[in-house]
Amino acid sequence: MMDSGFDRRDFLKVMGWSGAAVALSGCGNTSIEDGKETVVSYVEAADFVIPGIGVYYNSSCAQCDAGCSINGKVREGRVLKLEGNPASGINNGKMCGLGQAGVQHHYNPDRVREPLLRNGNQGEAISWEKAYALIAEKLDGVSGEEIAFLSGGVSGHLKVLLGNYLSSFGCKNHFVYEALSPGVVRAANKKAYGVEMPRYNINKAKVVLSFGADFLGAWVSPVHFSQQYAQFRNGADGQRGVLIQVEPKMTLTGANADRWVPIRPGTEGILALGIINALGTATGDIAAAVKNYDKVRVSKETGVPPGQIDKIAAILKLRSPSLVLAGGAAEGYAHGSQNAAAINLLNHVLGNVGKTIVAPVTVPFPQMAPAKGNTAALKSLNDGLAAGNFKVLFNYAANPVYTAPGAMKFKDNMAKAEFKVAFTHYLDETALQADLVLPLDSALEDWGTQVPEYMTEGAQINILQPLMENLHPNTRGMGEILLALIKQRRPEEYKNYEDYYAYLRAALVQNKNAFGGHSMDDDTFWNETLTKGIIKLAGTTTALNGGTNVSSLKLPTPAEQDEQFPLQLIPSVNISLRDGRNSNQPWLQESPDPLTTIVWDSWMEIHPKKAAELGIVEGDIVEVTSRVGSIKTQAYLFPGIHPDAISIPIGQGHEAMGRYAKGYGVNPFKIIDTVFDRETGELAMHETRVKVSKTGQRVIIVKDESAAGAKQVREKIAGRVSTDNVDLSKEV
Amino acid sequence: MHRFLRISVLLTGLFAAVSVYAAESLQTTQMTEDSLGPLVEQPIEFPHNRHAGDAGKGGMEINCMYCHTYARRSAVAGIPPLQKCIGCHQGIESVREAPRIKKLFEYWDAKKAVPWKKVHDLPDFVRFNHERHIKRFVEQQNRPFQEVCGYCHGDVKEMTVARRSKALSMGWCASCHQKDHAVVAEGGTQIGSQAYWYTFYKPEATDGSTDVLKAKGPNDCWQCHK
Ligand code: SF4
Repeated sequence: MMDSGFDRRDFLKVMGWSGAAVALSGCGNTSIEDGKETVVSYVEAADFVIPGIGVYYNSSCAQCDAGCSINGKVREGRVLKLEGNPASGINNGKMCGLGQAGVQHHYNPDRVREPLLRNGNQGEAISWEKAYALIAEKLDGVSGEEIAFLSGGVSGHLKVLLGNYLSSFGCKNHFVYEALSPGVVRAANKKAYGVEMPRYNINKAKVVLSFGADFLGAWVSPVHFSQQYAQFRNGADGQRGVLIQVEPKMTLTGANADRWVPIRPGTEGILALGIINALGTATGDIAAAVKNYDKVRVSKETGVPPGQIDKIAAILKLRSPSLVLAGGAAEGYAHGSQNAAAINLLNHVLGNVGKTIVAPVTVPFPQMAPAKGNTAALKSLNDGLAAGNFKVLFNYAANPVYTAPGAMKFKDNMAKAEFKVAFTHYLDETALQADLVLPLDSALEDWGTQVPEYMTEGAQINILQPLMENLHPNTRGMGEILLALIKQRRPEEYKNYEDYYAYLRAALVQNKNAFGGHSMDDDTFWNETLTKGIIKLAGTTTALNGGTNVSSLKLPTPAEQDEQFPLQLIPSVNISLRDGRNSNQPWLQESPDPLTTIVWDSWMEIHPKKAAELGIVEGDIVEVTSRVGSIKTQAYLFPGIHPDAISIPIGQGHEAMGRYAKGYGVNPFKIIDTVFDRETGELAMHETRVKVSKTGQRVIIVKDESAAGAKQVREKIAGRVSTDNVDLSKEV
Repeated sequence: MHRFLRISVLLTGLFAAVSVYAAESLQTTQMTEDSLGPLVEQPIEFPHNRHAGDAGKGGMEINCMYCHTYARRSAVAGIPPLQKCIGCHQGIESVREAPRIKKLFEYWDAKKAVPWKKVHDLPDFVRFNHERHIKRFVEQQNRPFQEVCGYCHGDVKEMTVARRSKALSMGWCASCHQKDHAVVAEGGTQIGSQAYWYTFYKPEATDGSTDVLKAKGPNDCWQCHK
C-alpha cells in the first residue's frame, strides 16, 4: 500500500535525475581507487580453484519438501547461484522460483548468529557449551511424557538421530506439524489406493480433472508435475491433454486450464458424485451411492451448470486414461475426507488406478522415510500445552505462533511450558517466545540427507552438503546439535562420531552395498556420493490395494445462506510464500503473485459482481471479520473467484522474522475458525465464514499489471466463450 | 503544492551533492597516459624487481605467469595464494631471516591471508578480462608476457611494490583499441548493439569484402559494463 502524497512516479523521476548525475560525475579517472580495498588471497588453494571461475557442487533444495536436487555455483568461496541437478528424477535439472531464493535464506541479514538465552525481554548471547549444559540441566528430573518436540517434516538421518534422542529419555511426543500439508488427501488415498501418496502420471493422462490441486504452483512436487504437465500438453499420442480445474479460487494451475470451473466452496465431492452419475458406467454399490446425484440437484448445490457437468463427463468418457486429483481446495472442510473420497472414487470408476495412479517406490530404510507433517499434530500439541502437560518444549522448522489459527491461542499455551528451546535461523514469532534460541546453519552450509515424500520411478536419497564455509562462525547444523545433545545421554554409543559429518559418513558408508557401492572402497564411494549429490537405489514398491467402499460416503448438503457471515474465506497458497516460512526472502516478496501481480503485500480477492453489490472498488481497505477476529487489507477485484467467496493469501502479516517479512500485509491464520476434518482431525482451512466491510480508506495497489488503478475485468485479451457454450471435445 | 515542494527539496539536495562531488573531482590532477598512481603501502613490501627484474640488475627473471597464474585462466587475475610464496621460500635459506620473509612466515604459520591492498582497482561497473587480452597478445601474436602485462601494468619489473602507471580510464582503453587493435568479426553479422559512445565504433565493412566486418574494440557496452 502506498498512501503518502509523494507517489512512486515522482520518486522515480527524481531517481532518474540522480542516475544521470552520477553517470556524469562517474566519467574520468575519479572512480579508480588505488590502495583502498583489500584483496584477500587464498592461503592454500586447491588446483581447481581459480578466482573468477565458478566451482559447482551438488546438494539439495530445502526451501520446500519436494526434495529437488540442486547444483550451486561457488566463486571465491561464496555461493552465487543455484540450478537444478539434471541427475535427479524429481526435478531433472530444473528449479522453481522459491528454490532460487535459497541463497537469500543463506545470506539473509536477519539470521540469528549466537545462541541466545532469555533475560527478561532480551536475548543474551551465550556459548554453545553453556546452552548444551542448560538443556541437560532442564531435562534433568523431567520425565519423557513432560517433554514435547515439535518439528516440521523431517527425514533421513536427521529423523533417525532425532528419534534416538527422544527415545533416550523415553519421550514419545514428537509432533510433526506442517501448516500446509495434504493430510486429508493422504488419508483418503490410503483408503482408496492403499498408500498415502501414490505416483501420479500426469504425463500419461489424456484428461486431468483437478479439484483444486495446484500442481503447477504449490502442490506436493510442483517442479516435477510441471515437467509432466509439459509432456501431457504435448500429448502421449499426439493429442494434446485437456486440463479441467474445478475450484472456487483460481490457482496458477486453474489459470493454465482449458476449462476453469468455479464451484461453490465445499461442494467438490458432490460434483464428483454428480460426474459419476452422469458417466452412467458405475454399477452396484457405487451406482446406488450416486443415484441421487442427478444433474439438476448437483447443479443446484454446486453452482456448476448442468451442461458443464455433461461436458466434463463426455470428455472423460471419450478419452482414457484420465486422472482426477483432489487438492487443497477440496480437503479444507469438516467433510474434507468425504470430498477427497468422492473424488478418488471417480478415479476408480474411470479405471485410472493402475494407469495414471500407480504404486509409489519407497527407500528400503523405513527409519529414514519422511515423518510427514500435518495439522492434527498441532491440535494435540496445543491441547497438551493448554493442559500444562509439557514442561519442556523443543521447536524445529515450524512456526506455530504464526501459523496456528488465532483461536487456538497457541502463544499463550506455549507460555505454560517452563522451558522452551527453539532451533532456528531467524527470530520468528515462535522463536521470540522461546527461552533458549539456538542458531542453525543455513541449508547451504549444512550436512544432511533427505528422503522426499514424493518420488518418481526410482527411489533416491538426497545429499545435503555445504556449498560454502559458515557465514557466521557460531551457527551449528541441526544434526550437529542433535549429536551433541544425544552424546549427553548416550556417550558410549556415539563417542566415535566426532561430528555430524562423521556420523553421516559412517552411516552411509556402512550401507554402501545397498547404495550401489559394492565395488568401491569407502573413500571412493563417499566421494562419488558427494559428487553426485543423490544416491539412487532400487526402491521397494508398495502395491496399490485400496477399495471402493462407499458405505461411509456422506456428503452434507451445502449450508443455507449465513446472514451474519455471508462469505467463505479461502486462505490461498501463493507459489512463493507458501506457509510464510520464506517470507523474509526479498526476491519472493518482489515476485508478483502470478494471478494478481501484487507485490510486498496482502490483498483480498473478491468477485467484481460481489464487489459491486458491496460498493467495493479496487484498493479499498476492507475489514474482513470472522467469528474469531478481523483483519484489514486492500481489496482486489478478481473474476477468478466464486462470488460467494473471498480469498486472502497466506504468508504475509509477520510480526517478527526480520526486516523483509515483518510488517508486510496481514495473516489470515489469525481469523481462521478452528474447525477440523471429522475423520482425520486435520484443520479445515476453508471452513471460515466472514463478512466484509469497507473502512473508507483507499490506496493504490502496488502491482505489475497495467497502470495503477486500471481494471483487469472485462478487458478481453483473447476471445472468450461462456463455459456453457463450449463444446469441450471440439476445443481440443 | 506540497508535492512540488518535496520534489524540489529532493532535487536541490541532489544537485548540491553532485556539485560538491564534481568540485572535488576537479581538484585531482589530470592524468597523462603514463602518470603514476599513488604509492600504496602494503603489509609486506614485495620486491617485484627482485623477482622479475633483469639478471643484470639483480633480478631473477621469473615469468609473470609463474605467480600470477590466474590471469591467463580467468577474467580476474587474483592474487597468488600464500602457499605459492612459501613453496619456494621454504627452500631459500639465504633470505629466511630477512624481515619481510619472517613476516611472510608469520602469516603462513597462522594460516592467515596477507591483506594486500588493491593497486589496480577498476570501478565495480567495469569488467576487464585478463584472459582475453593474454590470449590475443601472447597466444595469437606471440608477444612476451612482460610486454603484454606491461601495456596496462607498466614496467613492473622495475618496481618494488606495484604502482599504477597507466590511467585505466575508459578513454585510455579506447585509445589503444582504436589505434592498434582492430577486431575482426567474421560471418558478416553485426556484433551486438554497437556502442557509439565514446570512441568505440560500430563495425565497418572492409574494402573489397562484403562479409568481413572490421571493428575497433568491443562493440557492445556490456562487454565491459555487465
Ligand atoms: S519445488 Fe521445492 S524443493 Fe523443488 S526447487 Fe522449488 S522449493 Fe526447492
